[in-house]
Amino acid sequence: MNAGDRVRVERGDVTHEGVLMPSTTESELVVKLEGGYNVGVDREAATVDVLDTDVYAVGTAGDTESGSEVAFDDDLPTVALISTGGTIASTVDYRTGAVTAQFDAEDVLRAVPDLAGRANYRGRVVANILSENMTSDVWQELAEAVREEVEAGADGVVVMHGTDTMQYTASALAFMLDTPVPVVFTGSQRSADRPSSDNVMNAVCAVEAATADCAEVMVCMHAGSSDDRCALHRGTRVRKNHTSRRDAFETVGAEPLGHVDYDAASAEESGAVTFHADHTARGENDLRLAAELNDDVELLKFTPGMDAQRLERLAGVDGLVIEGTGLGHVHTDLVSTLDEMVDDGTVVAMTSACIEGRVCDRVYDTGRDLLDAGVVEAEDTLPETAYVKLMWALANRDDPAATMGESLAGEATDRSTPWQA
Amino acid sequence: MTAYDYDELGLVAGLEIHQQLDTPTKLFCRCPTGRREPEESTRSFTRYLHPTRSELGEIDEAALEESRVDREFTYLAYDSTCLVEEDDEPPHQLDGEALETTLEIAELLDATVLDGVHVMRKIVVDGSNTTGFQRSALVATEGEIETSDGSVGIEDLMLEEESAARIEETDGGVTFGLDRLGIPLVEIGTKPDIRSPEQAREAAERIGMLLRSTGQVKRGLGTIRQDVNVSIAEGARVELKGVQSLDDLDDIVRGEVDRQVKLLDVAAELRERDASVGDPTDVTEVFVDTDSGVIAGAESVRAVPLYGFDGLVGREIQPDRRLGTELSDHAKRQGAGGIFHTDELPAYGVTSDEVEALRAAVGAGERDAVALVAADDAVAERSIEAAADRARDAIEGVPEETRDAKRDGTSSYLRPLPGAARMYPETDVPAVEPDPSGVETPELLTERVERYQSEHGLSTELAEQVAYGQRMPVFEAAVDAGVDATFAATTLESTLTELRRDDVPVERLTDDHLLDTLELVADDDLATEGVNEVLTTLAAEPSLSAETAVEETGLSGVSESEVREAVVGVVERNAEQVEEEGMGAFSALMGEAMGALRGKADGDLVSSVLREEISKRS
Repeated sequence: MNAGDRVRVERGDVTHEGVLMPSTTESELVVKLEGGYNVGVDREAATVDVLDTDVYAVGTAGDTESGSEVAFDDDLPTVALISTGGTIASTVDYRTGAVTAQFDAEDVLRAVPDLAGRANYRGRVVANILSENMTSDVWQELAEAVREEVEAGADGVVVMHGTDTMQYTASALAFMLDTPVPVVFTGSQRSADRPSSDNVMNAVCAVEAATADCAEVMVCMHAGSSDDRCALHRGTRVRKNHTSRRDAFETVGAEPLGHVDYDAASAEESGAVTFHADHTARGENDLRLAAELNDDVELLKFTPGMDAQRLERLAGVDGLVIEGTGLGHVHTDLVSTLDEMVDDGTVVAMTSACIEGRVCDRVYDTGRDLLDAGVVEAEDTLPETAYVKLMWALANRDDPAATMGESLAGEATDRSTPWQA
Repeated sequence: MTAYDYDELGLVAGLEIHQQLDTPTKLFCRCPTGRREPEESTRSFTRYLHPTRSELGEIDEAALEESRVDREFTYLAYDSTCLVEEDDEPPHQLDGEALETTLEIAELLDATVLDGVHVMRKIVVDGSNTTGFQRSALVATEGEIETSDGSVGIEDLMLEEESAARIEETDGGVTFGLDRLGIPLVEIGTKPDIRSPEQAREAAERIGMLLRSTGQVKRGLGTIRQDVNVSIAEGARVELKGVQSLDDLDDIVRGEVDRQVKLLDVAAELRERDASVGDPTDVTEVFVDTDSGVIAGAESVRAVPLYGFDGLVGREIQPDRRLGTELSDHAKRQGAGGIFHTDELPAYGVTSDEVEALRAAVGAGERDAVALVAADDAVAERSIEAAADRARDAIEGVPEETRDAKRDGTSSYLRPLPGAARMYPETDVPAVEPDPSGVETPELLTERVERYQSEHGLSTELAEQVAYGQRMPVFEAAVDAGVDATFAATTLESTLTELRRDDVPVERLTDDHLLDTLELVADDDLATEGVNEVLTTLAAEPSLSAETAVEETGLSGVSESEVREAVVGVVERNAEQVEEEGMGAFSALMGEAMGALRGKADGDLVSSVLREEISKRS
């Protein structure tokens, strides 16, 4: 008896006939009835007859069709679609019942037919993981893949990525790459296996952004609850600020860099993509990759009453980003430990748990003591971005501590003007 | 309508009854289940839906047809809805109270509860669910109910979420309200054991009675909906959706049998004529100079020759509905305004010369018919194909489909029958193992009627009114509190009916208003004669309590002599103060007197009696 078999299950007076589903467990048989409902039957109390084997190849939805070769159109730009897994390219795993990634880039084209006719696509799979399983190795592989795609002539790159850690990966690529073309991250907050998935609009808008004029690393996700426009966020300033909403992604400390109007994009009208601020133009930068990272960096959120020992255990790391309170503080008793760590060669950068706003350690005594101890202010850089930045700076810059106070990829601003892009 | 021998025709019918449950919260979130007015909406947003594959790799035909029309859906949200209804937060766990009530219903239907209840997603991309699917779980199977024509099997009992309410339709899309989305709904499907229109109605009535016996179902328009599946031996299964009233159910079945018989007659005649359907062609040229407003305004005109159909496209299938109407309904689903066909032309500004030219253009002769669609290019192409497909089905006989039931017993095409392919597991909600062992069987309303007669001495009519009425729980509580049963029953039924006739908004009276009023009478704090006035006051000002309403209406049960008695007591207890201060003691004593009367007495009366008593002693 295997998943996909047609079975008759008798339990007391009731008989169920249907297809055995892979979600069956040791204690429960799960049978899909004619009408489509799944029912659970206590395995011990039931007798099972297999009527027919392998009626359905369950759990391989979408695998049955062969990938069709899409004709190349010289008039269209070429967009590289790089998949790393995640909700946008996911389907239901009937074994665990969870949603896991099973699609490659061609499947995404099949899943999102609306992408057809907008560009010539080059599909590529760098990873097939949920974004919480992302590692810095994959960031590096992804950056290398983007470089290869751009070298091979892609006019823009769309990276499909799980939303949980998208902001880290986007930041990593922003620091590693000088790109002459747009690199647009997108994903979905509702998995692609449901009719209401945001994947279609996000993917369409991301492709539009990838063929537009802004040669930066961006994140393209819903701007609001409605399916009307996507926001384009600078990769280093974006944060997932909600667990489940379509518009979970926000540019922190500024308005989004740009927007993509979905109705205009759907109608294939021009002007669907608009930018609201200065940005690096297409072709302005030469392609360059500096993918080295130093993994020996910690991100520590300070909490009231934190034991000094927790900090002491981090002694010897190459880099430490602190998410401090308010303007950038920790308990006064921790300052001496930080002092020792800096003396010992650790680069310690201060960010704020406020998320919004700029760190300023010159206002209160604790801050001044932190500065005296050698802690550097990361300005208005997001804690998560500062973490990635420090990994990169330690591997690529002679003076990583000083680098934390400069802006490399728009992660820190000179002027605090949150009302504008 | 012809009288048929339903046995001979091989009538087979089954019911699907959908009933909203009256739980405090929705099925997958903790929002309240009350309905709202569109004007109360606090925000709105728009979405699109896209069909997906089921776990077996199939796309449902009904879902696919729905999605061909790219529509924008607008949703109205309220201060009583949350992100779950907006599909911006995963569903919470299945509501325990709704499941409990469903288990009670299973018990009443004599159905067997499943070991594992798995919530499924039933794909519905018409916008009525923000997710693009309706969450639905099979809870029990294999039940049975009795009718006077024999028992009817219960195929299944589902617990599912109610869809969003359709508010208005525009060219570009549809507006829905989220207040209804997620209200728990049970769906009961019978086996196809029903053999006559009367039995269909009786089975539906029986199921309705069982549902209401739980005391946990919503009442009022739209809270229960009946669908009926009808087929005759030579015909096909047709699902008629949305029968709002039980009274219409038998007529709907009769009407559908009649429709299938007539379609079979048409099919027989078409086959005799060796009829066939040709290929649709572009006939825009024929109508370049037409005076027909509908056609002249369109980008493209497409037509299909229906060989051997002459005269049959205009044949009446249901009162005021022809075969052509069916073709038209299918074309409309693809976006066209409808079709024209040669059985009704020349008309609508189309001249006989144009009809001749049309016939010539598609190669149709005297014995043939032609159907045409005028619309935008893409719409015209899809629509004429849909009409042609329907015409092909007419040669075969009766197509399987879902139809919209109308009050007059007719119906119109809605969509193809949904298949199993539209179901896949709702992975966001873990399966539950229900425990039906602790479920108590509710007293049936039929049993309740008998008990009201034997225990409380109510007449049959009054007992039925109360037991089946919405205020039954108030009656139960009042009797428990010692209110006379006949008085409680008459008040809740006759009195309220009288007041409603006098335009008193009795629907605004809460159960507490009614119960408290009845109890005030039982406690002699309100005279029986005052009930109408108190209820009228409460209906006008529902924020009042029954007790304050009694005071405001001056119907307090405290008589002047009782007031005097209480006042004298107060004055005597404070004799010293009265002697010293005279009228100066009034305000202090007034407070005490009102307290002694527990606020039941009229203040002016107390005040005047008190003045009298003080002046007597000072």
